[in-house]
Amino acid sequence: MPLMKWFQERIPISGESIRELTNEPVPNHLKKWWFCLGGTPAYLFLVQIVTGILLAIYYESSTRTAHESIRYITEEVSFGWYLRSLHKWAATLMIAAVILHQMRVYFTASYRKPRELNWMIGMCLLACTLGAGFTGYSLVYEQLSYWGATVGANIAETVPIVGTFFKKMLLAGDVYNDKTLPRFYILHAAIIPVTMILLIMVHIAFIRMQGVTKIHFADEKEGEAKEFNFFPDHLLTEIIMGLVLMVILSALATVFPATMGPKANPLVTPEVIKPEWFFYVFFRWLKLFSGTVAVLSSGFIVFVMFAWPFIDKWLVKKTKSEDTHVWIGILGVLAIVGFTIWEAAVKH
Amino acid sequence: MTNETKKMIIAGLGGIFLLSLVFVQWMEVIRKKEEAGLSDTHISIPAASLDCVECHAESSPAIVAHWKGSTHAKKGVACVECHQAEEGDIDGFSHYGVHIATIVTPRDCGRCHAEVTHEFEASHHAAAANILASLDNFLAETVEGSRIPFDPHSPTPGFDSNKKVNGMASVSSGCKQCHGSKVALLATDGKMITVDDLKPDADGKPTNLEAIARVKKDENGNPLFDHNTWPNTGIGRINLDGSKGSCSACHSRHDFSPRRARQPENCGKCHLGPDHPQKEIYEESKHGVAYRDLRDKMNLDGESWILGKDYSHAPTCATCHMSGNTRNGGKITHDPGRRISWTNRPPVSLPLDTDANGKIVTETDPVKRLALVKDSAQNKRNRMKDVCLHCHTPNYVNSFYKQYDDLVILFNEKFAKPGKKIMNSLWEQKLISKQQFDDKVEWTWFYLWHHEGRRARHGAAMMAPDYTHWHGMYEVAERFYMELVPEVREIIEEARHKGKEKQADEAEKVLNAILSRPEHQWQSADKEK
Amino acid sequence: MDEKVSSENQDKRNQRRNFLSTALMGLGLAASYGTLATMAGRFLYPAKPTPKQWAFVAVARSIPVGSSLSYQTPKGEKVAITRHRDKGLVDDFIALSSTCPHLGCQVHWESQNSRFFCPCHNGTFDQFGKGTGGPPKDSQMSLPQYPLKIEKGMLFIEVAASLSWIKTNKKPSSVSFDDARRV
Repeated sequence: MPLMKWFQERIPISGESIRELTNEPVPNHLKKWWFCLGGTPAYLFLVQIVTGILLAIYYESSTRTAHESIRYITEEVSFGWYLRSLHKWAATLMIAAVILHQMRVYFTASYRKPRELNWMIGMCLLACTLGAGFTGYSLVYEQLSYWGATVGANIAETVPIVGTFFKKMLLAGDVYNDKTLPRFYILHAAIIPVTMILLIMVHIAFIRMQGVTKIHFADEKEGEAKEFNFFPDHLLTEIIMGLVLMVILSALATVFPATMGPKANPLVTPEVIKPEWFFYVFFRWLKLFSGTVAVLSSGFIVFVMFAWPFIDKWLVKKTKSEDTHVWIGILGVLAIVGFTIWEAAVKH
Repeated sequence: MTNETKKMIIAGLGGIFLLSLVFVQWMEVIRKKEEAGLSDTHISIPAASLDCVECHAESSPAIVAHWKGSTHAKKGVACVECHQAEEGDIDGFSHYGVHIATIVTPRDCGRCHAEVTHEFEASHHAAAANILASLDNFLAETVEGSRIPFDPHSPTPGFDSNKKVNGMASVSSGCKQCHGSKVALLATDGKMITVDDLKPDADGKPTNLEAIARVKKDENGNPLFDHNTWPNTGIGRINLDGSKGSCSACHSRHDFSPRRARQPENCGKCHLGPDHPQKEIYEESKHGVAYRDLRDKMNLDGESWILGKDYSHAPTCATCHMSGNTRNGGKITHDPGRRISWTNRPPVSLPLDTDANGKIVTETDPVKRLALVKDSAQNKRNRMKDVCLHCHTPNYVNSFYKQYDDLVILFNEKFAKPGKKIMNSLWEQKLISKQQFDDKVEWTWFYLWHHEGRRARHGAAMMAPDYTHWHGMYEVAERFYMELVPEVREIIEEARHKGKEKQADEAEKVLNAILSRPEHQWQSADKEK
Repeated sequence: MDEKVSSENQDKRNQRRNFLSTALMGLGLAASYGTLATMAGRFLYPAKPTPKQWAFVAVARSIPVGSSLSYQTPKGEKVAITRHRDKGLVDDFIALSSTCPHLGCQVHWESQNSRFFCPCHNGTFDQFGKGTGGPPKDSQMSLPQYPLKIEKGMLFIEVAASLSWIKTNKKPSSVSFDDARRV
């Protein structure tokens, strides 16, 4: 085939060369499905970028038009309701996937030397994901998202010294105004995604440089290869993951399509203000303590999570046990689940 | 797991994903279809009526469906715009937070359709309820029914025998459904409250506080209508706000279809039967035959419906009596009387020379008459001729009118005026009682002019030969010669026997004078031989 | 000899199997993601313009000069229709969105000051909808205007038709549809 030859001469790529190029050996434990969670948020991030770009084509980020433009997307554009629902559900799943991935890394203690920095990058990615969720929800400009943003900004204000500055930067003023929404929009559609792309690149580069943490299981046979190829073997696994996700997303989007609440009304505070479910923990925590204490304590928790690899090292030295983090982790997970359910169950 | 297996799994999952997308496509098609079904006519529910429509789409879906197809719906007029009651409206009540009234009167319609309402109010249609408490109504109220409720005289199994018999039933379900009722509210003292008690001002708001206070209300505070007077869409309904008529008599709720008002069946709700079979006459005529054949070409759905421009194939009732045509500039009238030159309603037909109030001028002095007449019968006839001339030559139209005039005059002169004179002599001489319908001859006379005489005249007016002759003049003649004259003679004889010689002679003189006229000579001439 | 043949056959069969599975996988991926891409393309293709309709507002003479009535479009947008002249022409009226362009609060007409006032941040607009005070003035914002027409003395407004017929099946809780049957 002369045409194929023509291309091959100019683009010297073959299955062999890709294998060569990507021949990072993948440890055998990744043949087990639950160790592939790291690829899931990456795939969902891709879905978000594609659907996000499509939605951005119709979205208008002014307080007067935002709600209407989303109604237009949902009710009038072909497949608008589907793409918007995909975007919404992919966001939900992505946050869930990031948390699950982080839990897997935590409980297998994969953040230990030399991967401490990659854990911190992962923490930044978690923060970005939550930030994208917060800003994205605000863009709908419905009652709950408007008041959610207002409450969020007021929480930021309680941070000592920098709080007021931070709030002003977020809202473009002392209160939510017509300049606020474009800020959220640019954060959501440009700053956060670009940051995340950069962070993901570094995240993967670290993995490539350090190799995937090897985990061994009792049922492994002696003398069997301990690793397998990324291309095509693991890539096929990731494609399967991607398709499973698409089917789940599609089912969620058709059965539970994204809805719209009433347009934001700055004069009427809704009786019940609730953030999206992934902020329930934080919200419940805030309600337990008064303003500054709550904010500072949660700041402290975030700092602990960020610096965990080093704290863990100190703990191991102190307790002379490798497994202390497991017990702390179980406590932490129970607390998070408990707070979330608590907040979901009560009205105020 | 081998790579081959993985690839097969991917193929399978790809298929499942594809299936889910097919489902998405299916949902999208359904959504688009729903939208397309609506976007053709661009119907939106006005925000003020959204709640009404949502609830009534379940409780009474057909009302909503009718409205959906109406021009009102297209133009953003929905429930509240028409049913909205103003503060002080006697029949207003709160219905899920909206102050509304059940009956929409011409005053309400006139808020937007002012000119039309004005025309209608001047018409004979609006005055149709004037017949109530008249001779015809005496028949239904007293002869057929009873003004006073009475007890049933034996039980009807399965029905409450303690309930009084409502003697007004025939009036309520009969007369009033065409002529219109005088709408009444129930009062706390068991009486009725009508417009006469309420004394509404120029805005239709009641002024009589005493009557307002007596209005009986149900547990929700809604005023209650007297069931003898509502439901009713009679064309001359007398409403609580003082307005007269009911627009939905012709423009049926809730689609207010102009299409329906253009069709003869619409008028046929009332203009039919033994005393004024206009519907049947029309059906017999060439006009009705053409309509039945060509109604598909009549452009009945057209927004404009001007004879000679939008359609030409046949005339309906509306075409001649109401609708616009090219010769009158497309002007519709809601006063059918504007094109009618004879009134054939009374025993003796009269030309419709009307005064400033639309009343017939009965003045005989030509000079005074000229001063009084504001709209002459000739004017009215000329308006009708504008319609005729779309299909017929002037010569044809004028000659037709001569035929029509001749028939009316023949009936007037040979039977109507003589019959009236004979009957009057009987009453004047007290040979029969003043009470109507208690003497056989009164029924005979009523048949003659009210049923048969009208049939003959209407038949001639609208080109139905059989109604003019066999159902008309033939029966008039039979009634006159074979029933009225013998019955009158019998009454005279009987009076003589009872010693009322003088009165009997007077009456006989009148009868014989009439029968000796040349047009009645044919029978006596034969008998003399 | 036999072994060699059979191993050659085995190779061929493996090759064939490999090709078949790769082709099937390619087909599955192309068909599913291809369809998704087509949908995205359809999404980008301009939707039909929202149909407009002339909706009845009120009888023109029922609105006195200097007063304002609030109208809600079928899509729920609030509009203030103000009459500022008495010529009996459509120019007497002006229909302005009641939604403040600043943050979407509802403005209302103050006839004594001849202005629209937004209670959220004390924004004001003149009778033609131009921002005269508060945030609207600072950012030079005006209230959007709707087209009007008068036909046979009736005032009509041009609004976007709402395509959604009845969306919810909500019933007011206290309604009984059996009223008629009870009697």
